[in-house]
Amino acid sequence: MASYVLRRLGVSLLILLGASFLVYQLVAVSGDPLREYRESNRPNKEALMQARIDLLDLDTPAPLRYFSWLSGAVKCVIPGQCDLGKTLQGQEVTDALSAAIPSTIQLVLTATILAVVIGITIGIVVALRQYSVLDYSVTFMTFLFFSLPVFWVAVLLKEFGAIGFNDFLRDPSVSVTVALAVGLVAGVIWTVLIGGSWKRRGIVFAGSTLLTAGILWYLGWSQWFSYPGLGPGIVAGLGVGIAFALTALLAGLRNRKALYSALIMVGLAVVAMFALQPLLEDPSVWLVILLGIAAVGGGLLVGRLMGGYDRGQSMKVAALTSFLVAGLVLLDGFMQAWPEYFKLTRGRPIATIGSETPNLNGDFWITGVDKYTHLVLPTISLILISLASYTRYSRASMLEVMGQDYVRTGRAKGLPERTVVVRHAFRNALIPLATIVAFDIGGLLGGAVITENVFSFKGMGQLFIQGLDHQDPNPVMGVFLVVGVTAVTFNLVADLLYSALDPRVRVKA
Amino acid sequence: MKIRRSLAGVAALATTALVLTACSNAPGDSDDDATGAPSASEAATTGGTLTVAETNQFFSFNPNTSNGNTDINAKVTTYPTRAWFNYVDGSSFAAGNPGVAKDESFGTYEVVSEDPLTVKYTINEGVVWSDGEPVDADDLLLSWAVDSGHYNSADGKVSYFDYAGDTGTLALTDFPELGEDGRSMTLTFSEPAADWEYALAAEAPAHVVAKKAGLADGQALIDLFTKLAPTAKDATADDPELRKVADFWNTGFDSTVLPSDPELYLSSGPYIVSEVVENQSVTLVPNEKYSGDLTPKLDSIVMRTIPDATAAVQALKNGEVDVISPQPSADTLAALEGIDGITVHEGDQLAYDHVDLTFNNGGPFDPATYGGDEAKALKVRQAFLKVIPRQAILEAIVTPLKADASILNSQLFVPAQASYEDSVANNGSADFPGEPDVAGAKALLEEVGVTPTVRILYNINNPNRVNAYTLIAAQATAAGFKVDDQGDAEWGSRLADGSYDVAIFGWINSGVGVSGVPQIFSSTGGGNYNGYKNAEVDQLAATLVKTLDLDEQANIQEQIDPLLFADAYGLPLFQSVGIDAVADRVGGIEAYNPSQSGVWWNVWDWTVTD
Repeated sequence: MASYVLRRLGVSLLILLGASFLVYQLVAVSGDPLREYRESNRPNKEALMQARIDLLDLDTPAPLRYFSWLSGAVKCVIPGQCDLGKTLQGQEVTDALSAAIPSTIQLVLTATILAVVIGITIGIVVALRQYSVLDYSVTFMTFLFFSLPVFWVAVLLKEFGAIGFNDFLRDPSVSVTVALAVGLVAGVIWTVLIGGSWKRRGIVFAGSTLLTAGILWYLGWSQWFSYPGLGPGIVAGLGVGIAFALTALLAGLRNRKALYSALIMVGLAVVAMFALQPLLEDPSVWLVILLGIAAVGGGLLVGRLMGGYDRGQSMKVAALTSFLVAGLVLLDGFMQAWPEYFKLTRGRPIATIGSETPNLNGDFWITGVDKYTHLVLPTISLILISLASYTRYSRASMLEVMGQDYVRTGRAKGLPERTVVVRHAFRNALIPLATIVAFDIGGLLGGAVITENVFSFKGMGQLFIQGLDHQDPNPVMGVFLVVGVTAVTFNLVADLLYSALDPRVRVKA
Repeated sequence: MKIRRSLAGVAALATTALVLTACSNAPGDSDDDATGAPSASEAATTGGTLTVAETNQFFSFNPNTSNGNTDINAKVTTYPTRAWFNYVDGSSFAAGNPGVAKDESFGTYEVVSEDPLTVKYTINEGVVWSDGEPVDADDLLLSWAVDSGHYNSADGKVSYFDYAGDTGTLALTDFPELGEDGRSMTLTFSEPAADWEYALAAEAPAHVVAKKAGLADGQALIDLFTKLAPTAKDATADDPELRKVADFWNTGFDSTVLPSDPELYLSSGPYIVSEVVENQSVTLVPNEKYSGDLTPKLDSIVMRTIPDATAAVQALKNGEVDVISPQPSADTLAALEGIDGITVHEGDQLAYDHVDLTFNNGGPFDPATYGGDEAKALKVRQAFLKVIPRQAILEAIVTPLKADASILNSQLFVPAQASYEDSVANNGSADFPGEPDVAGAKALLEEVGVTPTVRILYNINNPNRVNAYTLIAAQATAAGFKVDDQGDAEWGSRLADGSYDVAIFGWINSGVGVSGVPQIFSSTGGGNYNGYKNAEVDQLAATLVKTLDLDEQANIQEQIDPLLFADAYGLPLFQSVGIDAVADRVGGIEAYNPSQSGVWWNVWDWTVTD
């Protein structure tokens, strides 16, 4: 094992060396570093060109220049000694990177997590309903999104999701026609999702169409879009829904103890909503995180106290329910801040560029809403394009597992379908996905170069583009180094993880 | 089956829950539960904020170093935070007389004598930096020391300030005489300098530079400059004290964030930087210590960096920014036209595209090819210029952006200038009309008896240049030239090596002044890539930069212009179009400004109405 890891690390190092040399040369030959001065008729252009030549050390051939970069870069092995050179603007590359990395993580992390969760869920669901209308439509949609260029999706999202939605918010009332149209779409989606006999489909379609249209119209009529909020009523209602859903999924509704512990947590959350009111007036981020942990801990405790033959299930269900309902309470807090945020942004809340409104100086709620309004569009565009691969992988993997002998055995011995799917099949289907997710985390830091550009995010992608634009190898190499090292590391992690998850696979030393 | 049924249950449950309680935050009860929120938001309404989108990222509070000299640093630093004797008047370009406007609330300058040219600069009393320190003699002297390059040794081995501007003009002055009042300075030029009015520029606060370099105060800096002035040209080694001063000036003001030390971003102008979000935005607020006439009218100005043109247009449409200056393209323009509540300003950039012929590379346009026969080479050059379809090029590239655009018919003037009409009437450009004259070119080539091969160099990554090349190549082939396509991404580095006979590229003027003319057209100019040599032009250009009178300057340029056409130097094609777009709530931005400062040149006039 140890020798395997060491060997892999050695090979990775060589790969990094070779790749960095190649990237350096490519940047060096990618254009003319003096381009901006060529067309200038400034009297001192010779001097300016000379200054740039000296700065980039252009008189040394690129293959040799690489080694002077390398001699600084190898010092990164010792903490605090890193010397990746300076950018053309005279900033240390290490400083530029430390500013860019958080920005990129902020942008890509949520999107990746959501894409993984949503993608796997969809994949599993369509695998269970193979060759149904749902299966075909999901496949069609995900591949459609997958093949759309992100800059175009971004432009559309901005046009309708930001500009259009902001225009709508100016006078947020929903006409009956619009409500019905949206209701019809929702009706179709629910029908396809729930399926069943024709009679049932008809009921589902009619019911969900009318219900959605009605809710939408009511929300518009009651000015909910201007003054959104959930209030204890909705939190409780949705909470009960979540409790039932999670119990049904994870424990089965017959497990009353699990259901009751989940319901208790919903009740506690609603009580806490009032009890913690003064504390949540202007909370710190840490307090909110702490409360989240407390919610999970409370769930575990209640589940445990409920006892019964399968405590684990109760604990799981209660903790998850409690966490999600706490999330609803938080959401309600953000919604309360909406009208104020609306005014601060002169009535144009959803943003098309950047990661924050300059000089906002709001409390936790306002800055939170600000983050949300800036991240929502880039996150959606990133999710849309990466959804396809997760869906396809999890669908394929689930189908394969469902065809295995042990699944048939499970059914034969009379296990409920829920147990077969959730407990036996689902877990094993996730194993191959672990590798893919690990790879993606490696690629995550590389940033979404194009997405960053169209949404004016100043992360790794921008650093890379700026460097490339000016044939300035240092920032490009800095980005490469970070991305390369994470990619190589996570490749290794993925391999090790795989053998840990699947005992059949052994790492050969 | 069970899962399916419970899923349906959940859906129903969730939706009913929504209905049941959606009323919880309806406007009726929003009054009760909105504790304090509405009253706070009333006060925070941002009435007086204007947001400007820019392409580049801010990174230095000293835009005068060759490194910090990016448009954005000058926009944020120079205009809002530096009061000075004069500033480039952004509205003067559209009016046809590029020039400077004086700010007499800062100080005055006067020509004491014309021969030798002597100029006296006096700062008004009571002008202060934002830390309360007066703007006075040490600041003037630092500006001179940097802008004149006086302290760099004659052999170039010792060099201090990494100044981005041209030191040529102030290099003609000797160490200035400082006034008794401590806020005036007199410069004496060894010979007349045409661009004297633009040569002395506002610099960093001298007292800060002095302090950070380890000197006691501004006076110590003056003493240092005075001490070293006589020997500077012959220096063989760095003076350690001045080295520290220069090192700090060169890099000390570079910062991508707001420095913790406020001395690094002092202001003497109407606004002062209050916040910098790395690579994203810069916020300016009124400078309370400013006492001049250019009083700020806004609560704050925010500069946001948006590199992508489409993103900038959409941000304008969404009301996130109020002013954008995107790269002009037909798509951008079409997108802008679809937006209500904004005004688009179109104008001519200082850049213009042109075709140059190479005179000294042994190619078809070089007299040496014909055994030194000037007349033959001239005929071949004329033949080539005759086939350039300038009107067609204009229609392909510029007309989609600017319907009333016309071809450029002068190498030295642009249509907005008063002298343009005069010059065009006499400069011989009529011999090369917009429509190609293939028959005429053929006749000329037959006269000489050659069918030359011409290598045409252009930037293959620039669609406009590719367009121009394609149109020219078709006509040239028809006239009997053999065209060799030398389109190259690395075209820039080939400009000076003579490996081509024709180059299609653009010049970018610096805006005001005449120093750029000898740069391109005199035989020793740094921008003379095509080996053009005409003794008369050389002499006129040399006189031009020594001429103080504006009318006389125009007169000399009108003499140079026809010589270039007579020699078949090449042809100007068109001026590039520039645009900016401004939301209707903004006041004070009236016209497109082609100079480097863009919309920022009159930042103190900006207002917003809500």
